[in-house]
Amino acid sequence: MSILAVEHLSIAYQTRRGAVQAVRDVSFDLDQAETLAIIGESGSGKTTLAQSLVRLSPRSATVTNGRILYRPPDGPQVDVRSLDEGRLRRYRWQGCALVFQSALNAFNPVLTIRDHFADTARAHGMGDFREQATELLDMVSLDARRVLPAFPHELSGGMRQRVLIALGLLLAPQILILDEPTTALDILTQRQVIDLLRTLKERLGFALVFISHDLSLAAELADRVITMYAGRIVETATVADLFYRPRHPYSLGLLRAVPRVSGALGNLDSIPGSPPDLIRLPPGCTYHARCPFGVDDCLKAEPPLLDVDTPAHRAACIRWQDVADAVGSFEPAAVGV
Amino acid sequence: MNASPLVELERVSRQFETPGGTVTAVNDVSLVVRPAEIVCLVGESGCGKTTTGRLLTGLARPSAGRVLFEGRDVWHTRGAEFSRFRRAVQIVHQDPYASLNPTRSVFQTLSAPLERHRLARGSDTQRRVIELLKLVDLTPPEDYLGKYPHQLSGGQRQRVSIARALTVEPRFIVADEAVSMVDVSIRISLLNVLIRLRDQLGMSCVLITHDLAVARYFGRQGRIGVMYLGRLVEVGETERLVADPAHPYTAALIAAIPEADPLLTRGKTRVPLRSAEVPSLLHLPAGCSFHPRCPRFEAGLCDIVVPELVAVPEREVACHVAVRERAGLVTAGR
Repeated sequence: MSILAVEHLSIAYQTRRGAVQAVRDVSFDLDQAETLAIIGESGSGKTTLAQSLVRLSPRSATVTNGRILYRPPDGPQVDVRSLDEGRLRRYRWQGCALVFQSALNAFNPVLTIRDHFADTARAHGMGDFREQATELLDMVSLDARRVLPAFPHELSGGMRQRVLIALGLLLAPQILILDEPTTALDILTQRQVIDLLRTLKERLGFALVFISHDLSLAAELADRVITMYAGRIVETATVADLFYRPRHPYSLGLLRAVPRVSGALGNLDSIPGSPPDLIRLPPGCTYHARCPFGVDDCLKAEPPLLDVDTPAHRAACIRWQDVADAVGSFEPAAVGV
Repeated sequence: MNASPLVELERVSRQFETPGGTVTAVNDVSLVVRPAEIVCLVGESGCGKTTTGRLLTGLARPSAGRVLFEGRDVWHTRGAEFSRFRRAVQIVHQDPYASLNPTRSVFQTLSAPLERHRLARGSDTQRRVIELLKLVDLTPPEDYLGKYPHQLSGGQRQRVSIARALTVEPRFIVADEAVSMVDVSIRISLLNVLIRLRDQLGMSCVLITHDLAVARYFGRQGRIGVMYLGRLVEVGETERLVADPAHPYTAALIAAIPEADPLLTRGKTRVPLRSAEVPSLLHLPAGCSFHPRCPRFEAGLCDIVVPELVAVPEREVACHVAVRERAGLVTAGR
C-alpha cells in the first residue's frame, strides 16, 4: 500500500526569459517503509520535486498541475496541495519531514541545538521533547549532553547532518525526505551516515526518499530508483534492475560515467553534450541530442514511460530493447554482474 | 621512473596561525614528481592536500623544508629563475564559477597570458588560442572565442580553466578537485583531457581529490598518495595501492567508499574504527595521529612514536605495524 502518491505533477519557475519547466508530469508511488532514490544531475528537477512534497517550494515556483496524495495509515487520504495551514503543519514533520541539503545552512546559527529541538516541539504541540530528543540523538550516535547545548558551528559537518536527521525524526514522521544527505561529507563520515540511515529505518520503519546525484548512495540504500532528466522521470526500476539492467540510455550513460574503487575499472565514458534549456525544450525526446541510441523517430514526440521487462520497470525510451541488447552483449563493466 | 625529479618536496611543513593556535596544515611531507608522471593526492577535508598543491606550485612558502624544481630550491632563487619556475607549474582550481573573470570573453581570458608572457602576438595569438581550445575539446573553437563564462556550462568553464593553464606551456599542472564541481556524467571526459595532455605534451600532473575512485581512474598509470591530518601516510602505484592498501587508514577509506554497484557495495567488508572523531589539527594526538581511530593500534608504540614514511616493497607507508609486516620483520610479540 502506498503512503504517498504523486500524480502528473508539473512545476515551473517564472523567470524573465520565460517559464523554466523544472518538473514535468511526474508520477510515482511511495510504499510504506520503502526506500526510494531519485537520481539525476543538476537541473534535473529532483530538488524542486522534493521541496514540493512538503510544500516548501521557493516563491518563484508554481505547481501548474497534478496531485500529491498522502495516505496516512490511520486516516483518510489528503491532497497535500489543498491542505489548510493547520493541517499542513501536522503533515509536515508528523507525516513527512524534509532534511535540506547543506547541513550548516539548515540551522539558525544563533540558536543552540536544544533550541532547535524545542522550537520544533513547540510548533507541533509536543510537550516534553527531552526524552525523545535524547533517544534520537543516541540513535544517531551523538551524546545529547554534549550536543544539545552546542551551537551549530561547534559541530562537525557529519555531526550536523546527524543532528538534522534526528531532528527530522522528532515527530515520528511516516516519510523522511533527504536532499543530498551525504554530499560534502568526508568518506568515513558518509559511511557512518549511510549505516545510520539503514539502522534507523529498520528500527523506526519510516519510508525514506532521498535525492542524490551520487549513484553509489542509491546502490547502498535504495529499494527502488527513479532517474530524472530535464524535469521528467525517464526510468523507474528496482535497484538491481536499474544498475544491472538499465533500459534508458541516460541511466546507462550515468552508470558508465562513474568510476569504482573495487573490482575491475571497466570501460568508462562521459555523456557528451549538456542538458537542454528548460525554457525552450527541444522537440521529441529531450535526451536525443546526447543519446548514442537516437534515431529520427525520437524527434517526433516525447516518449512516454513504457513497461519494459517487468511491470515494475518502466523507461521512457522507444529504443529500450536496443539498449537492452547493448547492455546484454557488451556487458560494460560498470553494469555487468 | 628513473628520470630525475621535476618537482620535489623535501620534508616540507607549512604552518598557519589561527586564533586557536598554530596549525600545521602540512607536516614533514616528502614527495617527488617526475617528468610526465601522474600523481593523485587523496584525503579527507583538512588533510592538507590543497596546501600541498599550493606548495608544489610555489603559491605557498614552506615553513620548513625545501621545494625543489629541477633540483634547485625555488625559494632561494631570484627573479628570473623564480618566474621560470612559476611559469613551468600551473594550477587548475576547483570552482570554475569563481576562477574565471566573468567580464572577460574566452578569447580575452586565453590571449592575456599569451601576450603578457610574449608567447604570441597579433594573428599568432588567435591561432594559438584556437589550438588551445582544440586541445581541451572545445570544438568548433570559433564558437567559443566570444563567449563569456556565464554562457558556458560548468564542464566547459573547467575546460577553459585548463586551456588557460596551458597558455604558458607548463611542464607541470596541479589540478585541485578539478572535477568535483562538475556533473558526474562529464567528469570522465575532463579527466581524459588531462590524461591526453600528459601523453601529448609530456606534462606532469598532480590531481588533488577527495574521491578515491576518481584518483584510481585518473592515476591508473601513476601513483596515489594518501594524506591524513597533514601527513603523507601512504604512497604507491595506483592499482596496487587500491587492491592492497598497507596503511590502516587507506584500508578504512577503501572499505568505507560506497560504490555504484548494489551487490558489490552492500557486500563490502567494513574496517571498524575505534573512534569516529577526527582529531583537531590544533590538538593532534601524540605518536601516530591516526592511533585513536586505528583498528591496529598498539599501545606503547603508536601513541608515542611518530611513524616515518618508510619504503617497503611496492610502497611507502607511515605505520609501525604495516612497516613491520611488509618489511618481513615480524616480531615474536605478534
